Amino acid sequence: MPGFTKQQGLLILWVGLLFLSVTPWVMAEPPRETPLSVTLPSDLMTFQPGPGREIAAGFCLICHSADYIYMQPPHSPQQWEEIVHKMQRAFGCPIPNDQIPTLVEYLVSQNAIQPASSLPRVAESSFAGTGTVEQGRQVYEAHCQSCHGSTGKGDGPVGRMLIPPAADLTATTKADRELLHIIQNGKPGTAMPAWKGTLSPGELTAVLAYIRDLARSH
Amino acid sequence: MSSPQDEPLRIQPGRVLGSPGITRRSLLRAALIGGGLTMAGIPLTYAKDAPTATLPFKRGARPLVTFPQKRPLMVMTTRPPQLETPFHVFNEHVFTPNDAFFVRWHLANIPTTIDPSAFRLHVRGHVRRPLSLSLHELRTQFEEVQLAAVCQCAGNSRGFFKPRVPGGQWGNGAMGNALWTGVRLRDILDRAGIKPGAVQVRFNGLDQPVAEGTPDFRKSLNVEDVLNDHVLVAYAMNGGSLPLLNGFPLRLVVPGWYATYWIKMLSDIEVLNSVDDGFWMTQAYRLPADPCGCVEPGEHPTRTVPIGRMPVRSFMTNVDHGATIPSGKPVVVRGIAFDQGYGIDRVLFSSDGGTHWQRAMLGHDYGDFSFRQWEARFVPVAGRTYHLQSLAINRIGESQRFSARWNPGGYLRNAVETVQVKAI
Repeated sequence: MPGFTKQQGLLILWVGLLFLSVTPWVMAEPPRETPLSVTLPSDLMTFQPGPGREIAAGFCLICHSADYIYMQPPHSPQQWEEIVHKMQRAFGCPIPNDQIPTLVEYLVSQNAIQPASSLPRVAESSFAGTGTVEQGRQVYEAHCQSCHGSTGKGDGPVGRMLIPPAADLTATTKADRELLHIIQNGKPGTAMPAWKGTLSPGELTAVLAYIRDLARSH
Repeated sequence: MSSPQDEPLRIQPGRVLGSPGITRRSLLRAALIGGGLTMAGIPLTYAKDAPTATLPFKRGARPLVTFPQKRPLMVMTTRPPQLETPFHVFNEHVFTPNDAFFVRWHLANIPTTIDPSAFRLHVRGHVRRPLSLSLHELRTQFEEVQLAAVCQCAGNSRGFFKPRVPGGQWGNGAMGNALWTGVRLRDILDRAGIKPGAVQVRFNGLDQPVAEGTPDFRKSLNVEDVLNDHVLVAYAMNGGSLPLLNGFPLRLVVPGWYATYWIKMLSDIEVLNSVDDGFWMTQAYRLPADPCGCVEPGEHPTRTVPIGRMPVRSFMTNVDHGATIPSGKPVVVRGIAFDQGYGIDRVLFSSDGGTHWQRAMLGHDYGDFSFRQWEARFVPVAGRTYHLQSLAINRIGESQRFSARWNPGGYLRNAVETVQVKAI
């Protein structure tokens, strides 16, 4: 250990004494001799109504509760199909092949990634001269600045530490719609998270307006 | 019995929370309502106003429900049960209480009644003398050993993967630290007498598949990885019997290794003279076969190996993302760190997102496999936002990663965590 000042030494001593409150050996309570019996709760969730629900209830619920599906992040239709095939082939789910497409459709209806076509359309010129830049600045300072920096160059205290580093928003060539998609859904392989659950649609467009404003004033 | 749960320091002002949305009040409500639910019979869908904790990712809402021998825990799935420990528990105890310890089963056919007097642990396979040991024989005929070790689910923190991956969507609470009491696996194997040519030891518990075609959950370790002082067959944790959901009456304890090998309700030990070719070793719990254990996000590894030991991690336990902290006086940030058993050498703390680092003070050393508590101080200036980070380094110089690695299984997360707070 490197040298400590007297003050540091006293602090360490004090902390050390507090940490020394436990005996390392714990006497176990007498071993249990009588049978242990518990009742596990029944399933907390059930499958929601929709075409194919009966197949899900009939096959998935043999081995596991419905929350196995609802706790998953939204999956693509392809991912759900892979999962169903894995259940059938690796885990022995007795589902007949001809019922798999309906089950996959049902799972997609319950918990799937929104197709890109359902994203709100944003006109390229919808931000100039509106009052949302100020609103966007507040959103930016609260949520974006720690990574992307106060100037938007990606040099915030957290952003500098990231690999890859946070994006330089003043140098982006992306169209509004593209940029909005990244803000909403995050960027795979980077630290950029999805904001669509956190920010309202209004806040999303406002922060986009502010980013454009930052780039202009740069 | 003396309690192993110590409370060395309790200085930190401000919110003491694990993840956004979990409050002491909601836990208290859960204790009342969850208990009531269990007694009254749980409805098919939980009420919209049932106490819920929310993990900070999509589909992160978790009802808080009381399972047998447990306090209200975050229910990821009901059947088979997968229950996450609310994160504030890690600030309150260096040893995770048995009733708060996370739960993860793979197969729904779990015995709900165990008769300790009828239970037998079988040792068979490539041995000279197959054994059938009662719990009494196990306790009285072998040397009792006690050690502190972290049990961490291989998928702990999977919910934070970007992009997200299928699997159990845990926050950071699929881990726990306990003082395990039991006997050495080596001593049991010595009595059975391993024959020359033994390669692996396979472990099975009393849990069974529901569907006929589901592979039974069995895991294997290489012989050289179990013939040591610290792999235990444990019959107690933190001084008490194992809760049924944590494996009563016996659990394999493999310090430093992910919990997938810590077989619960351990009833069968089989010495193999070849490598286990079963599903749970060859198809599940596998990592990309490179030193990183990672691939580019979205890619599939060409070669994989079974998951093994845990990389070094640290967490801040008494500050919550988005919290406000008082300014002008020292604030104590507390946390925990652990690794695969080399032991924690030092924990570094930064309040400015990693630009400047200070060495945190380490708490009592309960052994190389245990949580190690740490604390650091800094004096916040009013109005400033701070990005708090902790970085643990073990005794062979391995540190946490700054960038999170990615693999399709959602394993091995050990990136430096950042907690943003504002001083007022």
